[in-house]
Amino acid sequence: MSRPLSVLIVEDEVLLAVELGFLVREAGCVEVGHALDSADAVRLAKVLKPDIALVDVHLSDGPTGVDAAREIAERAGAIVLFMTANVKRLPDDLAGACGVIGKPYSDRAVRRALTFLARCLQDGAAPGPPPPGLALSDSFVGRWGVEQMAQAV
Amino acid sequence: MTIVDAQAPDLPIVFVNDAFLNMTGYRRDEVLGRNCRFLQGPDTEGPVVKALAQAINKGEATNQDLLNYRKDGTPFWNALQISPVRNAAGLIVYYIGSQVDVTARKAAEAALEAAAAEQARTAQQALADRTALLHEVDHRVKNNLQLITSLLVLQTRRTLDDATRAALQSMLSRVSAIATVHRRLFQSHDLERFDVATFIRDLMGDVSSGREEVDIRLDLERVDIAAAQAAPLALAVNELVDNAFKHGLTPGRPGRLRIQVRRLNGHYVIEVCDDGPGLPENGVFEPGFGLTITNLLAQQLRATLQFEAGEPGLRAILKLPAHG
Repeated sequence: MSRPLSVLIVEDEVLLAVELGFLVREAGCVEVGHALDSADAVRLAKVLKPDIALVDVHLSDGPTGVDAAREIAERAGAIVLFMTANVKRLPDDLAGACGVIGKPYSDRAVRRALTFLARCLQDGAAPGPPPPGLALSDSFVGRWGVEQMAQAV
Repeated sequence: MTIVDAQAPDLPIVFVNDAFLNMTGYRRDEVLGRNCRFLQGPDTEGPVVKALAQAINKGEATNQDLLNYRKDGTPFWNALQISPVRNAAGLIVYYIGSQVDVTARKAAEAALEAAAAEQARTAQQALADRTALLHEVDHRVKNNLQLITSLLVLQTRRTLDDATRAALQSMLSRVSAIATVHRRLFQSHDLERFDVATFIRDLMGDVSSGREEVDIRLDLERVDIAAAQAAPLALAVNELVDNAFKHGLTPGRPGRLRIQVRRLNGHYVIEVCDDGPGLPENGVFEPGFGLTITNLLAQQLRATLQFEAGEPGLRAILKLPAHG
């Protein structure tokens, strides 16, 4: 068995963050930290080196999640997954994030997405097409070979 | 009025009337013998002057509005009309020019144009503001729905009593159905219409992942309903599906669930069929809360709700009038 994936939660709604923590554990991952604003998010990502960062676009210091995500993806080496009600405002390249889950999400959609990402990270390839509710960025579709899979099916 | 000598070099003015002198502010001796171009100035439009010259070269009459300048340097709009005068041999001997000061008309036109442009700008700004507001409200509604969902899940986690847990879970599934509607409404390009088939696919994606033993078949025609009907219809469908899972498809048994959406004789027909125990022997259900609200929602949608014996199981049929 490989070690469970570590997850950093970047979310300024504390109740959402707490519930996300439950979902992270239920998906077999470990929550290693929680940040409310972008500065904390980047700092924690660099210190804790999580495998995955779940990032909201609107944080307690404003709409800073996109920049924080880019910094975390490029400088801290984490896989970033956006969780936002503002899917339309994300840049085309998703700021280096692997994908996005639109709010309001269901607990099942989050668990499925985390399980899917865990497999992608462990195998370096997707186990199948992404589950409903999870949209992958173009570059990660290529990286995890989701495109060939969609064609093969 | 001016008359110029068409045979002399550079078309000198040979006659002007008093109206011309009053309009331009020059004395008669200052204009006689000169070409009319002394009226032009820095903002006189080149293409208009060129059109004048071309007409004269061809010996044609012409009408042009051009910006001229008085002796004191103030500009005015000159509606200029030039006509050639021919002698008996057909040779152009004079050009007669008539000038009318149309500055006031031009100013009115410009003001109208400016007003129209300003109106367009205001309308565009209003549209941009409205769109921004819509996005902001959409964003807040989504976040609030997320908050409500998370609160319900959190409390469900801490609730040990089975009945309370079941009630919380039912409420969660209802709120989630509304959340799914809202997510879909703003994703589509048409904010007025709601795609029922896509909603049902989303809904089943969420419901089914907990119940892998159930074989789910979706047979969905694309059906659009008015956005205002989206939430009540979504809630009604959610109740029917929830009912099928609770009473028709006992956990662990590899049951079958079929959902069909189709158009039929001016109606949209939504069927939810399970292969469970079906109708009670007396044909009447205990009126639980789920059935109560489904009936109320059906009333609101002007729909009929029927339960029939499936073969086997239960077939719930929701039939609502199609509009457009």
